[in-house]
Amino acid sequence: MLRAIGFLMFLLSVPANAETVAVETFAGRIVAPVLPDRIAVFDLAALDSLTALGVQPFGLISRVYLPYLEDAAVGTVPVGSLFEPDFEAVFAMSPDLIIAGGRSSEQVPELARIAPTLDMTIWGNTVEEGLARLAAYGQIFDKQAEAESLITDFNNKLSKVRAAVSGSGRALIVMTNGPKISAYGAGGRFGWLHDALELPEAVESVEKATHGEAISFEFIREANPDILFVIDRIAAIGQDSESASATLDNVLVHETTAWKTGQVIHLSAGPIYLAGGGIQSMTLTLDEILAGLKDR
Amino acid sequence: MAIALGLTLIVLSLASLFVGVIDISWAALGSDPEALQLMAISRAPRTIAVVISGGALAVSGAIMQMLVRNRFVEPMTAGTGQGAALGILLVTLYVPAASILVKMVMASFTALVGGAGFLAIVHRLPPTQPLLVALVGLIYGGIIGACVTFVAYQADLLQYVEIWMNGEFSGVLQGRYELLWLVALVAGLCYLAADQFAIVGMGRSASINLGLNYTQTMILGLLAISVVTALTVVTVGMIPFVGLVVPNIVSRLAGDNLRHSLPLTAMSGAVLVLASDILGRIVRYPYEIPVGTVFGVIGAVLFLWLLYAPKRHAS
Repeated sequence: MLRAIGFLMFLLSVPANAETVAVETFAGRIVAPVLPDRIAVFDLAALDSLTALGVQPFGLISRVYLPYLEDAAVGTVPVGSLFEPDFEAVFAMSPDLIIAGGRSSEQVPELARIAPTLDMTIWGNTVEEGLARLAAYGQIFDKQAEAESLITDFNNKLSKVRAAVSGSGRALIVMTNGPKISAYGAGGRFGWLHDALELPEAVESVEKATHGEAISFEFIREANPDILFVIDRIAAIGQDSESASATLDNVLVHETTAWKTGQVIHLSAGPIYLAGGGIQSMTLTLDEILAGLKDR
Repeated sequence: MAIALGLTLIVLSLASLFVGVIDISWAALGSDPEALQLMAISRAPRTIAVVISGGALAVSGAIMQMLVRNRFVEPMTAGTGQGAALGILLVTLYVPAASILVKMVMASFTALVGGAGFLAIVHRLPPTQPLLVALVGLIYGGIIGACVTFVAYQADLLQYVEIWMNGEFSGVLQGRYELLWLVALVAGLCYLAADQFAIVGMGRSASINLGLNYTQTMILGLLAISVVTALTVVTVGMIPFVGLVVPNIVSRLAGDNLRHSLPLTAMSGAVLVLASDILGRIVRYPYEIPVGTVFGVIGAVLFLWLLYAPKRHAS
């Protein structure tokens, strides 16, 4: 009898032992359950990459902002916003795994009290970390092959765009917020455009403040970039009262090489701003750059 | 004092014309057409915008202080500025394609409602408690500000709202500040009614005894304040403190005869905001610090000095 119970307990414990895998996260290597049934997602880059793998979340932040992720949101249980989880809703859905990060990073300790929680923040080397997160999702959801092929495709595209921009000169990344503009450097949240594409900065050492450095139009004129990347903050959150092109359409910007040669490349703000590091987001941005360059 | 202020204003304006990311020398102005163009497109508009907003905000602060008979209030912290921001926010939400004129009218209207609400509350407060007015003003402005934040939060427009809540001049270019000339006009018109506002500052019964149409003057003042505040917020954003600190300094040094002191108030406002803007452009060159932040520091120091310095001009 005792032996039978012991054997039964052994049987019960086997799946629990087998169903974990150590994956790379923002907080280091962490043991995560394999093939969790009910997952709650609190990060748009995570949702982006999970959707690319064909993984459907059970609980999801209640507004995803990004049209290409709307389908993934259909039928999910709302569990709060990017910054503020609805803890009762999370608890009620009894998740097997919670994926948080980025804007929800600070909530990870609290979320971890409800269920195993992964901090999948992408910060710093966006491309490398984004691909590492994708690989981790591949391991957790047993889709290594899919993840591998997505990573290969992405790397191919990256080399293609890198080749296309090589020799194009210096680039400047600006974000418009209504009538005002700020600049971002290689160390900032969009810095991977410089790093991954090996594009030199038009202005060295723009500091890596999260919301960029406030600049004037004279700054753009003086920097005189060969390529000007424009991200419209207002478009990212679904408002378009004063568009980025209207803000930049002035005599000072007209005098830059980028404007004269038609190398002002508008990047869809939602993907790069909200889901930066997601595999679909990064691919989309690269596509836009390629398309923008072809206008020459 | 007027001459000294005028000279300072001229010197600072010239300095403002020559401070910027692109280097322009005196000599280049004569020979280089590009330098002249830059002056016309970027530097002159910015300098003009700063001078007008600084002057007009100080004037509107002085008038509001007369209307509520209290030295510790100003439009930007007592509901008018927040009202204007609320108006812009509502227009952005419901009529995103609205022209600047619609925005302007809506912002002026909500600013007016905000200002009128404050006046209505203040008139019920006991006149023996001057600090109560300032406190009520802060709370009242805070409540409207909270409404703005709440609406913005619900619509995920928080960082967009910050554009107006923290005014600065980095976006000013030719073609993007001209509304401010209207502000200058309104502030100029206020000067014509300076005596009436000074009488209103003596209180309701004194005004009526002196034969003033009290209500009409109140409405006129409120209208002027709302338009100045709303248009400034629409074009460059809220610049708090200017309307509070400047009229107090001028009143301390030159007394309360508005006909005499209003031009000084306008010039002092322009000088201080201009100095703040130039500093904001220099400190983190080639990046910028919002003028509100710089003025906040300067204004706080000035205000402390004002509170603790011995009175020189008791009136």
